[in-house]
Amino acid sequence: MMDGLVEIVEFGPAALEHIDALYGYALALTHNMTEAEDLVQDTYLRATSAAHRPDIDGNLKSWLFVIMRNAWLNEVRHKNSGPKFIDLDASGPQVDQLQETPHVVYLRKLEREQVQQAIESLPDAYREIIVLRDIEGFTYQEIATVLDCPAGTVMSRLGRARGKLRKLLSTWQTKSRAKVV
Amino acid sequence: MQKCEDIRGRLTLYLDDELQGEERGMVEAHLADCESCAALFARELNFLNAIRKGAPFHVAPPELRAKVEKILSQERVVEESRPRRASRMSWLVAAAAVLLLLVLPLLVWRVYKQSNVPPVTASAFALKAADTHLRHMRGQLPLEMESGSPQQISSWFLNKVNFSVKLPNYQESSGQDKLYTLEGARLVNYQSDYAAYVAYRMKDRPISLVITSDSVARPYGGEEIQARGLTFHYNAIDGLKVLTWSDRGLTYALVSDLEERGQQSCIVCHEGTKDRDLLEPLKPH
Repeated sequence: MMDGLVEIVEFGPAALEHIDALYGYALALTHNMTEAEDLVQDTYLRATSAAHRPDIDGNLKSWLFVIMRNAWLNEVRHKNSGPKFIDLDASGPQVDQLQETPHVVYLRKLEREQVQQAIESLPDAYREIIVLRDIEGFTYQEIATVLDCPAGTVMSRLGRARGKLRKLLSTWQTKSRAKVV
Repeated sequence: MQKCEDIRGRLTLYLDDELQGEERGMVEAHLADCESCAALFARELNFLNAIRKGAPFHVAPPELRAKVEKILSQERVVEESRPRRASRMSWLVAAAAVLLLLVLPLLVWRVYKQSNVPPVTASAFALKAADTHLRHMRGQLPLEMESGSPQQISSWFLNKVNFSVKLPNYQESSGQDKLYTLEGARLVNYQSDYAAYVAYRMKDRPISLVITSDSVARPYGGEEIQARGLTFHYNAIDGLKVLTWSDRGLTYALVSDLEERGQQSCIVCHEGTKDRDLLEPLKPH
């Protein structure tokens, strides 16, 4: 507060704070560094030309993510190949059962690179939701807004994604243990 | 046992901080009493921590950060022309109030005298077109397809926009000296949809043509000029000459820094000599 007047944070610096998060999400969407960089720039260009912006301290981050996702979906649509997201919510076993299994993984020992590699090898829709929840820390409702889907879908997809991730990491760790032995 | 199943069903929500109040308290109370569920909770927490502790996995490259900073700094220049800080706003509001009191009689007299003068406010589409032209000039909106062929560009827009783009090719087919060159095209975002952007150049000066459906944008404001049954709206925006009009279901914006009202830019679609009846009214009188 200066002279009793409220200091209003400028849009630019506030938006720039999210560049690493946006770049990570862009990589999750595109799998390609050049495309990810283009997507980040496109997102900021769209954000700066938007007529209605959210409050700086409100939902700016999720708003930027919504812009990025829409820009990416449009990009995919233009390539006439259609979005590559498969409907992973409709079928398949529920793999995130919180049960005690012989393959329980004690992930404390896992290397950062191994986790990153596992996330990157997930199917697109699973990778995306893991990034939004576990890397970026969005709430279910915020994720629902970004993905434009019901919050229930977020829950179930997140469960499946974590189950798949757990399985992947478990398999890799079993293999690496076998090599050591 | 039923209680354990209930709690395990909510454990993910609890771990994701999505439970509140009574539900949250219920899970916490159960975890304090049940070793089996507490152990499961600990394992899940370890799993999530293992994923989360490594973040962020990616950091934007310095070159990308520099480019984005440039985009945002250019945006700040625009923002500075419309002050947002409360302190400046308060001062301006007070100053404007005093000024208004002083000039109000004069304004009333001017409005009365000029009641037949059209509004000078530019339409959102005209502003967007001028902004797109400037961004393209600054290299922020590179062309998505480069071609000097009107047919190729028209085909490129097929299935990309919700309207038909047919660029005329009289210059190419007439054999006359080329007065302008067609450079290429791209899509631009407008009103949650795509508009068509076509770039031309005439005597080394850029001309931009932005097209959208007239259901998305209708031209208004500026100086109204009637020519060949159409109503053109002319605005000078940021030193650019912007002509907007609607015709046969489409709305167009033509942007240039050419002389007068930039009416010479119309030749990208109209032959200068044959279309004199169109170009003449657009000249300032």
